[in-house]
Amino acid sequence: MKRLTDIVSEQQSMQSVLGLTDVFEGLASMRISQIKNQVLSSQVFFEELWEIYSQVRVSPNFTYGRGVSKPEFDKELYIAITAEGGFSGDIDQKLIDWMLSSFDPSKQDLIIVGHHGALQVSQANVAFKRYFKMPLHDNNINVLPLVNQVKRYKSTTVFYQTYITLMVQDIKKIELKNAIEEASTSHQKSIKQLISDDYIFEPSVESVASHLENTMMQITLTQTILDSKLAQYASRFRAMRRANDKATDLSAELKREFSRTKRFIADERIKEVINGLSKAGPVT
Amino acid sequence: MFDRDEDKKRILKVKVASPYVVYYDEPALSISGVNKTGPFDILPGHHNFITLLEPCELVIRTRVDEQKIRINGGLMHVRADSAAVFLDV
Repeated sequence: MKRLTDIVSEQQSMQSVLGLTDVFEGLASMRISQIKNQVLSSQVFFEELWEIYSQVRVSPNFTYGRGVSKPEFDKELYIAITAEGGFSGDIDQKLIDWMLSSFDPSKQDLIIVGHHGALQVSQANVAFKRYFKMPLHDNNINVLPLVNQVKRYKSTTVFYQTYITLMVQDIKKIELKNAIEEASTSHQKSIKQLISDDYIFEPSVESVASHLENTMMQITLTQTILDSKLAQYASRFRAMRRANDKATDLSAELKREFSRTKRFIADERIKEVINGLSKAGPVT
Repeated sequence: MFDRDEDKKRILKVKVASPYVVYYDEPALSISGVNKTGPFDILPGHHNFITLLEPCELVIRTRVDEQKIRINGGLMHVRADSAAVFLDV
């Protein structure tokens, strides 16, 4: 049986764990609501841009903003968006395993966003071309370095985590070109004709279309990063909730053990007193 | 001086925004910026127009004052007496 002082000390550490998990849980839920508000506030802006892009597209094929020039590498680019640090549950591992199951270094190059994913890819003895830190802030995310890499490749597939609900997150992949073409086509169907033949374009319709292709790539990549961040916060929230529940159970168990031990000690003392009294014999 | 109806016709709806911040969303008399060709002004009744903006100072003139917004570039869409400027794109 444990000593009372040991149980008290364990109870104190359990209270610290409870406090910490509460704080992490609160932080994760705060970040989730911040990102959701931010996505909502930017929705109108991006919708308007999609509408313009859908109607300005000069070619039905998406060219990654390269225009007529050829890509530098005749390979596909895989981008994996993962968390920067730990505390994000097992979702990164699932994402990396899924991506590596179709990865062939002779056909694809790999770029990792987030330290956690880079670590897991290294542990799997797979080499990656570039590593970018997951942006710390949730707004004004600069995806230009990523876009510049994307432009060098024949095509790009992005693997990322997606937020479904607070308790459910999933992993997803999109082919960047298809995602942008599909989004553009769906906007074309849903809106009235905005841009007619009498428009003046400066410097030219091709330059505007090419610039917008870059913009759409930035928007799509930013959205995948934000979606990943949401999923990571939700996954962290879930992990902290589980840890908190476990700590609560353990804390209750320690409380019971403390009472049992205290009662046992009291019983032992009573027994000793009774034994002592019986050995001393009757009082005359 | 214009009469009231004529006055209304002379108004341009101007919106200058980045994904997360709206810098200006009010009626104005004109908006000026710089594109590859050089400085230009947009007045009510301007032809439908889409242009890539160079880093410059956007100048929005209203009845009471003049507002200046320094930008790093962007896209301007002018249509039916309204000018939308998309920044950080």
